[in-house]
Amino acid sequence: MNLPRGDLIRSRVVRDPGVALEAALDAELTGYVVLEPQDALLLGGETRGVLTFEDGVPVLAYDAASDRGGPDALADLALSGPYRADLYELPGGALAEAHDTPELRVPPRMPAEELADAADLAARTRAAAPAERAVEDAAHASAVEAFLADEERIAALRERAREEARTRAEEWGLGGELRDGP
Amino acid sequence: MVEAFAVASGKGGTGKTTSTLALGMALAGEYDVTVVDADTGMANLLFHAGLDDVEVTLHDLLVEGTGTDVSEAVYERFGMSVVPCGTSLAAFEAADPARLRAVVADLAADADVILLDSPAALGSKSAVLPVVLADRIVVVLQPTIPSLSDGLKVQEYARSYGSETAGVLFNRVRDDVGIERVAERAERYFGGETLATVPESDAVRAARRAGKPLLAHAPDSAAADAYREAAARIDVRAGDEGAVADRFRSAVVPDTP
Repeated sequence: MNLPRGDLIRSRVVRDPGVALEAALDAELTGYVVLEPQDALLLGGETRGVLTFEDGVPVLAYDAASDRGGPDALADLALSGPYRADLYELPGGALAEAHDTPELRVPPRMPAEELADAADLAARTRAAAPAERAVEDAAHASAVEAFLADEERIAALRERAREEARTRAEEWGLGGELRDGP
Repeated sequence: MVEAFAVASGKGGTGKTTSTLALGMALAGEYDVTVVDADTGMANLLFHAGLDDVEVTLHDLLVEGTGTDVSEAVYERFGMSVVPCGTSLAAFEAADPARLRAVVADLAADADVILLDSPAALGSKSAVLPVVLADRIVVVLQPTIPSLSDGLKVQEYARSYGSETAGVLFNRVRDDVGIERVAERAERYFGGETLATVPESDAVRAARRAGKPLLAHAPDSAAADAYREAAARIDVRAGDEGAVADRFRSAVVPDTP
């Protein structure tokens, strides 16, 4: 995805990407947010996602590590936080060409729901979106489906949860309760 | 017979408490059901069940030396036995989570089904204990990636402690999310079947405001129908209550700082 270079207006490490999405919405950002999950080890180290915005509403999503766009990119980016989130601002209209990329587009409310599980923020974003974007919501399920289709990633997530459960059981004195013993 | 289920999700906002009470009421047609607010740090079942003014709660049973009998914290409401938890931070801090085991053992004597409304977290011993104590878990999910991730995580925690998944409940489902395909794919990873998909509903919010379980406040709503369908799909396994009580009592949970 080729974007014009914007002005960095905010750079934070956030616990959940909803904070960055909300900042973009409140600032009516036209520009883009670069998201870098700090916990990207699961995917081999580097995951950088880019979301573009028009007047605070998300338009495109792209994940550089997987080279996937649209809902698939959100599935790739939906890790547990924290994330580094950098907000870049562009002049109005600067993204018109980039935004003419249907395969990278995401429904307005989808980033809030899939990256942050923030129903209220999703509703606010949808309300702020131009009326003609309502039709895009039909694509919503595809990010969840893309996530569930990624067997390798889910296996890694479960493996990590098992290890964590075991480690914590010892910490909490619950080791004797484990199915396979301490 | 008695079987203890933890109603769990791993994260907040999925409607665990609404689901616990709804499943409890639906199961109460066939079984003696006891519902326990095991979310001792963020209790809210009392508000859903119109019990916010009661004197004795689970907290009193978890504090050593109060001499409170388990029966004092049990309230007969909506055809179920309900054990609410208080909301005082001081009481939470004084409570010994490990005593939950003995409380559940006592409750097992008079119940066919025990539902433990579980905390929306896995980060502490008190939060994980309901999942440890339960025979099986019911995972409450929303069809979003964060919710599914957390649901998978709570399932792995539960399995580590020998608690399998009785089924999955998709809650707060809007009609445009393609839930059939999502549920079908999710079933590959979750033990047990999809018990039901409960639609997002104003009736749920109205019930909460009225301080009543959904099935009492809006029994004819689509959401209530879905919960009854879910309850009918749970195959409650007969266990010997004496054996269950012994199991709960005999295992020792040492204290940790």
